Amino acid sequence: MNSEHIQLPNKDKIILSILGIIGLISLLYIGANDDLGHTRLWTNLLHNSVYFTLVALMAIFFLCVNVTAYAGWDVVFRRVWGSMSYFLIVGLLLMGIIALGVYFGWHNLYHWADQHTAETDTIIKGKSGFLNKNFYTIGGLGFIVLWFFFAKKMRDYTIAEDDHGDGRWAHYKSMKFYAALFLPIAGFTSAAAVWLWIMSVDPHWYSTMFAWYATASCFVSMIALTILILIYLKSRGYYHGVTSEHFHDLGKYMFAFTIFWTYLWFDQYMLIWYGNIGEETIYFQTRIQEYPILFYGNLVINFVLPFLILMRNDTKRKYGTLIIVGILVFVGHWIDLFQMIKPGTLHTAMELGDHASAAATHGHEAGTHGAHGHEFKMGFTIPGIPEIGLMLGFVALFVATTLHFLSKASLTPKQDPFLQESLHHHV
Amino acid sequence: MSGGVVAPVRRPLIEGHKTYHQITEDLCSPTEKAPSKAWIIAFIISVSVLAFGLFCIFWTIWMGIGTWGSNRTIGWAYDITNFVWWIGIGHAGTLISAILLLFRQRWRTGVNRAAEAMTIFAVICAALFPAIHVGRIWVVFYFFPYPNTRGSIWPNFNSPLLWDVFAISTYFSVSLLFWYTGLVPDFASIRNRASGLRKKIYNSLSFGWTGSAKHWQRWESLSLVLAGLSTPLVLSVHTIVSFDFATSVIPGWHTTIFPPYFVAGAIFSGFAMVQTLMVMTRKILKLQEYITIEHIESMNKVILVTGTIVGVAYLTELFIAWYSGYVYEQFAFFNRATGIYWWSYFGMMTCNVISPQIFWVKKLRRSVFVTFFMSIFVNIGMWFERFVIIATTLARDYLPSSWSYYRPTWVEIGIFIGTIGLFFTFYMIFTRVAPVVAIAEIKHILKVGGDQYIGENATHKNQHDTHSLSSTNHH
Repeated sequence: MNSEHIQLPNKDKIILSILGIIGLISLLYIGANDDLGHTRLWTNLLHNSVYFTLVALMAIFFLCVNVTAYAGWDVVFRRVWGSMSYFLIVGLLLMGIIALGVYFGWHNLYHWADQHTAETDTIIKGKSGFLNKNFYTIGGLGFIVLWFFFAKKMRDYTIAEDDHGDGRWAHYKSMKFYAALFLPIAGFTSAAAVWLWIMSVDPHWYSTMFAWYATASCFVSMIALTILILIYLKSRGYYHGVTSEHFHDLGKYMFAFTIFWTYLWFDQYMLIWYGNIGEETIYFQTRIQEYPILFYGNLVINFVLPFLILMRNDTKRKYGTLIIVGILVFVGHWIDLFQMIKPGTLHTAMELGDHASAAATHGHEAGTHGAHGHEFKMGFTIPGIPEIGLMLGFVALFVATTLHFLSKASLTPKQDPFLQESLHHHV
Repeated sequence: MSGGVVAPVRRPLIEGHKTYHQITEDLCSPTEKAPSKAWIIAFIISVSVLAFGLFCIFWTIWMGIGTWGSNRTIGWAYDITNFVWWIGIGHAGTLISAILLLFRQRWRTGVNRAAEAMTIFAVICAALFPAIHVGRIWVVFYFFPYPNTRGSIWPNFNSPLLWDVFAISTYFSVSLLFWYTGLVPDFASIRNRASGLRKKIYNSLSFGWTGSAKHWQRWESLSLVLAGLSTPLVLSVHTIVSFDFATSVIPGWHTTIFPPYFVAGAIFSGFAMVQTLMVMTRKILKLQEYITIEHIESMNKVILVTGTIVGVAYLTELFIAWYSGYVYEQFAFFNRATGIYWWSYFGMMTCNVISPQIFWVKKLRRSVFVTFFMSIFVNIGMWFERFVIIATTLARDYLPSSWSYYRPTWVEIGIFIGTIGLFFTFYMIFTRVAPVVAIAEIKHILKVGGDQYIGENATHKNQHDTHSLSSTNHH
């Protein structure tokens, strides 16, 4: 019952391919209608690459948390997380492209990467020990390799356990060792990666909370995506062992971490608002004035709606509500990351674009006319249709990667010591 | 809640092949017997220390706040440090009761009762400090907003110090409810074994509990509702305590990571205090079969995790201080590590971040001796953390001409030691009047946690293989 391998219907493969093609077309469309610096193209690439890479990181992180914490309930579908984490390979490739861009000046994503700025801007100069091309490349990509190393270890042991596992639980013990070791490593490196990839697009601004906030955002998305993938696989006749009891617990995680994300959002906002220091408030000032829909919408999609819908017991057990909330928060946190990245990169593009004497373009206008506010520019102050298309392409890429690795082994670890607990799980 | 199937790698949580009757016997008897000599000596010491603390409080009120070491630059130091320290300790109780209940961690049943009691006593100790630090304790009712005849005098609703009053009183009320709810069936167990006046008292305390199915059902729903309510409360209390500092614009205080980092630190210190108490309690009351090495190991793991989270937060602060490019922020942290109070920073880092790392070694986290010493270490480290944040930062403010040094007077030290006396006095009375381990909840997990059912010495092994243990199944 649980040892089956998945074989997807051709129809679904075609749908995934179509979504992938939509993504590709969107990418080409954006590229063809872009300004000289290809601001829109690169910001979208950075946005999606970081988002899906961090979702993959959260998958392996949560897997390791569960292994370390003697969790039994999730074993039946634990390999979904293991397979999701293998997107790190794709993430490495994508972040590699961006890092090469930083190295060779293909894009204007990071103000600090500009030679002239790095030498003349005192504040950016002070940060050059961390924000420099070498660390971005070696450090940033090194983190992904390190995360993938643990993802691979966890996968190798659980697959080996299928055939060679016995009552001595040697594989389980090895998994526990690597899982525990990964937790502090993930704790330190995820923060550094978030500073490097996301926070440094606003290179003058800083917040100690930021890394935990961005990570919590991706954690909620990871849980949402897990729920969606599991519901899909069940609809195709797999995972009989996954019952509404498991969905109830996943729903509780989605509910709890939605509140946790809001808690971090509130703390960061409240303390900066209360302190009222110009260098700090400018971050929210920009977003409230130039990105009001995203700023307030962020809270509605990622807190108000999931909070109200998931408050009841039965909404965490029914596919309908889980699918709605899952899609909502997955897109919601994608938008959250959009509003973390776009304002800073647009500002940089505008400043550096002047040096390159680029013609007035979308990016340019959005940046310079920002003070007027409420001027919505597709792809800049709100995601446009090509952005949605690109996101769908990335979702297809992520899901296809996950399903690919999921199909390589049994869907459920056959010899895991907690398997029976998981199969008999009751909330 | 406790499913019938137990994974073969789980280890027993109740040792000694206990029957239900034996559990009642073992856990009720400390309240029925005359106290041991060790208890009496410890109680006398606690009460004496408490008495000295009360004298110091009296001294402060009689002579005035000038008996403290605070000066024009460092307006608060020892009092607020102790307040935050005690509030932090008061976190583990509700965390164990509420969050571990939601996570269905069975090991919580061995320690939840004592941890909840500890929470209540710690919050009482903490609440003392704001009351006495105002100097004029007779106007302490100004803390509370109420319709008054003083014109427009109201507490400042913009101040996190006022939010503290609400957060802590709410937390205290809910924790007390939670603790008492758990005690109701256990008071009934004691009543059933008692006679005369004792029976009458425990009957009132248990609200005439009869143990009917309806009672249990309501009791379980209430526990879940209270767990749901207290989970956000656990976070809110230390969040607001952190706001006391973080809403300011003082470098070293104004940092956005403070709320979750304070909460992690609070859980860290709370668990350390639970360990201190549990190691002593299990020995003195002979409860080693209920508070097992398994429990101690689990709590040591929580200490390791939260200690490391705190470590990530310390390094985040340090890193961002450098990254900010803001000289005052950079100085604040440079001053913490190398300034006049370097020793407190050193103590904080050693006790909180470095020393808990020994718990990576299984042997050490299963050693009662090491656990006890580590728990004291962590308590010291977390006290230093608050002292570092408060005194070090205030001693070197924006204006070098007002830089100053703070050292506590005997009165302040006396009050702090007095609160420790208060804490232990309450705790020791508690061990005499109520079961230190929750009887009903231990019985609830017997068939999935007892060593006759699971683990190496199990004698009823077949039963759980056939999943027939539905008696403890609550859907």
